Amino acid sequence: MTATTTVEDVVDQPLGVYTRPTGGNGWRDWITTVDHKKIGILYGVAALFFFVVGGIEALLIRLQLATPNGTVLGADMYNQVFTMHGVTMIFLAAMPLSAAFANYLIPLQIGARDVAFPRLNALSFWAFLAGGIVLNLSWVMGGAPDGGWFGYAPNTGIVFSPSPGMDFYALGLQITGVASLMSSINLTVTVLNMRAPGMTLFRMPVFTWMMLVTQLLLVFAMPVIAVALFLLTFSRLFGARFFDPSVGGDALLWQHLFWIFGHPEVYILILPSFGIISEVIPTFSRKPIFGYPFMVFSGIAIGFMGWGVWAHHMFVSGIGPISVAAFSLSTMFIAVPTGVKILNWMATMWGGRIKFSAPMLFAVGVVSMFTIGGLSGVTHAISPADTQQTDTYYIVAHFHYVIFGGIVFGLFAGLYFWWPKVFGHMLSDGVGKVNFWVMLVGFNLTFGPMHVLGLQGMSRRIDSYSPGFGFELWNMVSTIGSFLIALSIAIFVVNVIMSAMKARGQAPCGPDPWDARSLEWLTPNPTPVHNFDEVPVVESLDEFWHRKYGTDDDGRVVRVASAEEVCEDGSAVGVHLPPPSFWPIVFASGLPFIALGLIFNLWLTVPGGLLVVMAIYAWIFEPVDDPDAAHGDHDDHEGDEAAADTIEEAPVV
Amino acid sequence: MIPKILRGTGLTALAVGLLAFLTGCAADAELDTLNPQGPSARSIDNLFDPVFYVAVLVFIFVFAGTFIIWWRFRDDHDNEEFPHQFHGDTRLELAWTIVPTLILVVISVSTLVTLRGLNETEANAVTIDVDGAATQWEPEVVVVGQQWWWEFRYYLNGLDGVDLTDARHLPPADIVTANQMVIPAGEEIELAITSRDVIHSFWIPALNGKKDAAPGRVHPWKLEADGPGVYFGQCTEFCGLSHSRMRMQVVAVTPDDFSAWVVEQLQPAGEPEAAAAQRGMEIYQSQCARCHVVDGFNDGSGADLVANAAPNLTHLMSRTTYAGGIFNMYEPNGSLDRTQLEAWLRDSPAEKPAYAEGRRGMPAMGLDEGQIDDMVAYLTTLGRAPALDIIAATEVE
Repeated sequence: MTATTTVEDVVDQPLGVYTRPTGGNGWRDWITTVDHKKIGILYGVAALFFFVVGGIEALLIRLQLATPNGTVLGADMYNQVFTMHGVTMIFLAAMPLSAAFANYLIPLQIGARDVAFPRLNALSFWAFLAGGIVLNLSWVMGGAPDGGWFGYAPNTGIVFSPSPGMDFYALGLQITGVASLMSSINLTVTVLNMRAPGMTLFRMPVFTWMMLVTQLLLVFAMPVIAVALFLLTFSRLFGARFFDPSVGGDALLWQHLFWIFGHPEVYILILPSFGIISEVIPTFSRKPIFGYPFMVFSGIAIGFMGWGVWAHHMFVSGIGPISVAAFSLSTMFIAVPTGVKILNWMATMWGGRIKFSAPMLFAVGVVSMFTIGGLSGVTHAISPADTQQTDTYYIVAHFHYVIFGGIVFGLFAGLYFWWPKVFGHMLSDGVGKVNFWVMLVGFNLTFGPMHVLGLQGMSRRIDSYSPGFGFELWNMVSTIGSFLIALSIAIFVVNVIMSAMKARGQAPCGPDPWDARSLEWLTPNPTPVHNFDEVPVVESLDEFWHRKYGTDDDGRVVRVASAEEVCEDGSAVGVHLPPPSFWPIVFASGLPFIALGLIFNLWLTVPGGLLVVMAIYAWIFEPVDDPDAAHGDHDDHEGDEAAADTIEEAPVV
Repeated sequence: MIPKILRGTGLTALAVGLLAFLTGCAADAELDTLNPQGPSARSIDNLFDPVFYVAVLVFIFVFAGTFIIWWRFRDDHDNEEFPHQFHGDTRLELAWTIVPTLILVVISVSTLVTLRGLNETEANAVTIDVDGAATQWEPEVVVVGQQWWWEFRYYLNGLDGVDLTDARHLPPADIVTANQMVIPAGEEIELAITSRDVIHSFWIPALNGKKDAAPGRVHPWKLEADGPGVYFGQCTEFCGLSHSRMRMQVVAVTPDDFSAWVVEQLQPAGEPEAAAAQRGMEIYQSQCARCHVVDGFNDGSGADLVANAAPNLTHLMSRTTYAGGIFNMYEPNGSLDRTQLEAWLRDSPAEKPAYAEGRRGMPAMGLDEGQIDDMVAYLTTLGRAPALDIIAATEVE
């Protein structure tokens, strides 16, 4: 790893009036970076921060519900806390943590230098952060949202929720939604247009495939929630009455819009995790993924079918029996492609020689825990049963097995797996295993009993319950479990800190710590700023593995090259990279002012709007970079047709 | 108590053992979803139980598979040799696409059959004997959700021609009660569910699944109780501050008792005789009648409330719970729970969170202790306490 950032070399002759920043390593570099890897890290840090915030909210919920007639929070505060727990975990933790993996890994897995629109990528992150800040400012500016993450009208209207909380909800989510939309367009274009030579769609790793499906879902889902949030914003702030039946509005309009977004959102959350464990399981089983085309197509099928199931959130909302029947059936059959995935992961492990390192434990955790969530899902896809279960803790149990068991475990598998790729040192595997087992036990103690509570009739979103319904024991168990989960998160944090301290002053870990399979491991650890020294020419699925291994005459796998021989050393110089820019963060910093202005004083929107407009102009007139600066990669590859084809124009937007 | 699902055939020892352990401690789970007491809830349960067993089987299959994988294929010795590399098997893929599909087809068909049954209604009639003149009533009850209590309205001439589209201005009903719905056992009751403000959800787990109460919409639903009994419920759609304190009960009685209940409820309130009660009535007139209604005293109220209504108090004492079904009117021995009622009259927002300042919920009326005594004296003249067994069965904690 000898290459340092080459940006300084490239941008020494800026054109036009706006000077572009030139990178470096301090905070200025972080706020101006357009490097997909740094943006990925920023996403990861912000998401883990919000994950802790949402976790603290979860602990407060569990404290309030630990005993009957709980008084820890009180009804009003409880409603705010459970609303913000949901909003934070979905929009500020799970989605951006997936975005962290997508940003960091997609360009590497497809052999690209960066994403298609690097500045837009930076704007996506900063806008997401701005939205997250707006949402959480509500705590100190008049009260947090109190209408649930699902925000059913008319309870979120100005009459029934007079605090500004739901305004923060509508505008904060609007901003994060715009961020997600920009990011998804960017990554979709990246996957479709920027693959290395030979990287056909069906040589892409399953992770990239699942991320592509996720981004396409986002492209179509985010506009729907944007519309719903605009209706809510106008209803609350400007006297519109879209959800008021007394003037011809309809309370169910919000529900349809929300769930047309909301159900694809579930797959937006879960597919990245499916992608992650589809990389982890083959690596640690030392076998290729079983049924690659079926894995890909089942993911695509889930993506399509995910649009036809939204009304299963509304079986008791008063939609007619024909709708209920139709959505009941579509919901049941979405279990088929999901089941295919579970069985393919098991078949991948079957006959393998499995190393149960920490990433693999988390991945197996997904396979087993998500299965429970999927099966309980089938028990309320049968809509008559759902009329008993919906809005009870049975549903809370179900979706936490999906979201925590399926997504959080998957994201932790990814964190342990790609940590060396990102930071150049491993997380302690031993501590990681402890982390896994504590989390697994805590998770099941927390959410397992909720199945029983729900079947015993405990409603969701109640701030307290009376003794005598049989709810006492399992609520207490659940609360104890939640603190075990908190302990497991603490163990992870300790692992991060201890591993970083241990790695200080040490050489980075080897290039291929897991004997991995996909292209990102071709680059050294941590990944150099220019990614690949030379753009790889891809010949097969699991390209990296196939460069290391061949088969002998008996069909046995034999090593043909060591990882050190295969991996690049990151020594390329003069690689043409997109230069950093101030304007994404300037643009995003205007958004909270607009949001707060709409809520409190319209004059505040003026500086916010000016910031945004200024950033847009500056963005447009920002010099591209020096056209005479170095192009291409390693000198001795000048003229290499295949490589030159793809590396020439570094993406600049 | 062990839920019914575990008392069945006992498909797998593991499932029974596990769930028996998990649910073993529920002493009196009045909201238990697996203990149906009526035909609708039973048909739901009959659908859920087998699907649950199938799910348990799949669960065992996957977990056994995972365990076997861990047992057989883990590599403890850093074995460098690669296992046999195989990339897939189309026949297997087809098998585990088609088999789950077939299972789901079977489940779908039974779901559709159940769904159809749940949406069918039967024509039935209850005989009500008013002053020796028997009338036939097709049992229909209008259910109105409001922050944070339930109203039940009985139109004895049927719902034909009754305009329910604006729940804030409903046509006068023969009987208007709150939080406790009295029905004849063994009869199918059609419900018309609506709301005066936000979305609520009406749910009596022992009798049927839930159905949302949404403003501007009237949702049909039905209930039937196998026999006399008290069936608990809880609002299950998040409806704001006191969502957790919005409860209800269905009291199913014999047809004769039901007829008697109707006759009693049709009586308007009379003039109280005792001096204290008369003073209470004056307080009622000056303070409470702005929102509440007592038939025979004030037939309408100009309720300055978001939802435009407060509970009808004509037969308050015939209800054993109040304030959204969270407080007991009576001690177990049948005497009035005076302490609680006085506390409620003294400062209701302290007893149950509400937004009185936002015209939602009952405000503190600022009564002094003497006035509270007078109010209690008046309220106890409104309606007659039900039988002791009803008081015992409806008791809430």
